[in-house]
Amino acid sequence: MSDRRRRFEAQAIPHLDAAYNLARWLARPPLDADDIVQDAMLRAYRAFDTVRGNDVKPWLMSIVRNCFLTAAGRSKDKLNVAIPPDHEIAIADSALIAGQPDPEATVIQMERSRDLNKVLATLPEDFREVLVLREMEDMSYREIAQVTGVPIGTVMSRLARARALLKEKCHLDVEGPLHAVQ
Amino acid sequence: MMWKGPSMPCNEALRVQAYFDGELDATTAMAVEQHLKVCVECAALYTDLDATRKLVRESAAYHRAGDGLRQSITAMLDRESGQPAKSRRWYAGDHRFLSGLTSGVGATALAATVVFFLAAPPTQNLLVADVTNAHLRSLMSDHLIDVVSSDHHTVKPWFAGHTDVSPPAVDYSKQGFRLVGGRADYVDGHRAAVVVYRHGLHVINVFAWAADGDRLPDAVERNGYHIVFWESGDLVFCAVSDTGESELTELVRLMKETKA
Repeated sequence: MSDRRRRFEAQAIPHLDAAYNLARWLARPPLDADDIVQDAMLRAYRAFDTVRGNDVKPWLMSIVRNCFLTAAGRSKDKLNVAIPPDHEIAIADSALIAGQPDPEATVIQMERSRDLNKVLATLPEDFREVLVLREMEDMSYREIAQVTGVPIGTVMSRLARARALLKEKCHLDVEGPLHAVQ
Repeated sequence: MMWKGPSMPCNEALRVQAYFDGELDATTAMAVEQHLKVCVECAALYTDLDATRKLVRESAAYHRAGDGLRQSITAMLDRESGQPAKSRRWYAGDHRFLSGLTSGVGATALAATVVFFLAAPPTQNLLVADVTNAHLRSLMSDHLIDVVSSDHHTVKPWFAGHTDVSPPAVDYSKQGFRLVGGRADYVDGHRAAVVVYRHGLHVINVFAWAADGDRLPDAVERNGYHIVFWESGDLVFCAVSDTGESELTELVRLMKETKA
């Protein structure tokens, strides 16, 4: 096995779930997240000798993002800011509700997931993107700036607006309905 | 406290967010902590940020790559690297290893390794080095916590989806050990679950992975970090911290008691 392949399997493949999750949250039918990720992994592999170990994840995520834009027929940096809410939303990964044997809690959790996924799907793309990178992937501001190609200040304000909008759309009060389980 | 105002009225809002995201150095973080005590708007903002994060982390769909995609990527890599034969891997590996041994660097490394191994049983020594490195890594990078929560109802289910084991994550704030979150890490070939505590200013990482019957190292100090191993149920636990030995032993005692 070549050095590059060994390094790719050790450093890039572990981020495959993250790559796919980002693609799924960005792409809508008829675009296919599988195709986007496959394309991204091929490009990443061919250019893999140019990247340093610490930067693999943000680098890979930025390739996924660019492949999405290419597939969508848009030029670089052109994320849409309004998304039609016609997308079929998957119920949260069953792993997320594992460890909650109480059936009633599980039902509430599922409804909550469905509502939240709908809300997330209707957020503007650039907002959805920073939320996925920050809250699901736990990436730092610097890494998110690397992925999205904008300054850190823009990442911060975008994230703040995304969070405020999400809160508003979820009517996220401390005693609000989405917190019924706790 | 319910906050209904416009999005970001206080000038400090972005700094509060940066504090919440763990992006500030210690001095600035302390300034924000002081500000949070006096600014009602920012305190409410902090609560909102926390609620939003919990909501996304607990309830949003996380889409994992399917087997079909993984297989087609492996096939793509085979095509690209032009060598599908797995048998060549071992040959290539051995060849590199042997040629390395004959070089001077290899010989020095080998000598050093021998000395290192003689000092203690090798697997135990490697395990101690592995958890110490994982602990240091968690402090140096911004990857201390994957799921931020003081609530074990949040941390434990999160483990179920992200690691091989799902150890209890109990908050011992009253005894001085505050549960701050959990993380997935890689220790000794295991996908370990890590429960993260704070004791004063010290971070305590408690690693947990499936027991495989190997003898565990004794409690040890390495580079100023105390490391304690124990086994409970079918899990191996390992607590690492630069906190005092007696404090760490106290947390271990509490955790053992909780298990029983």
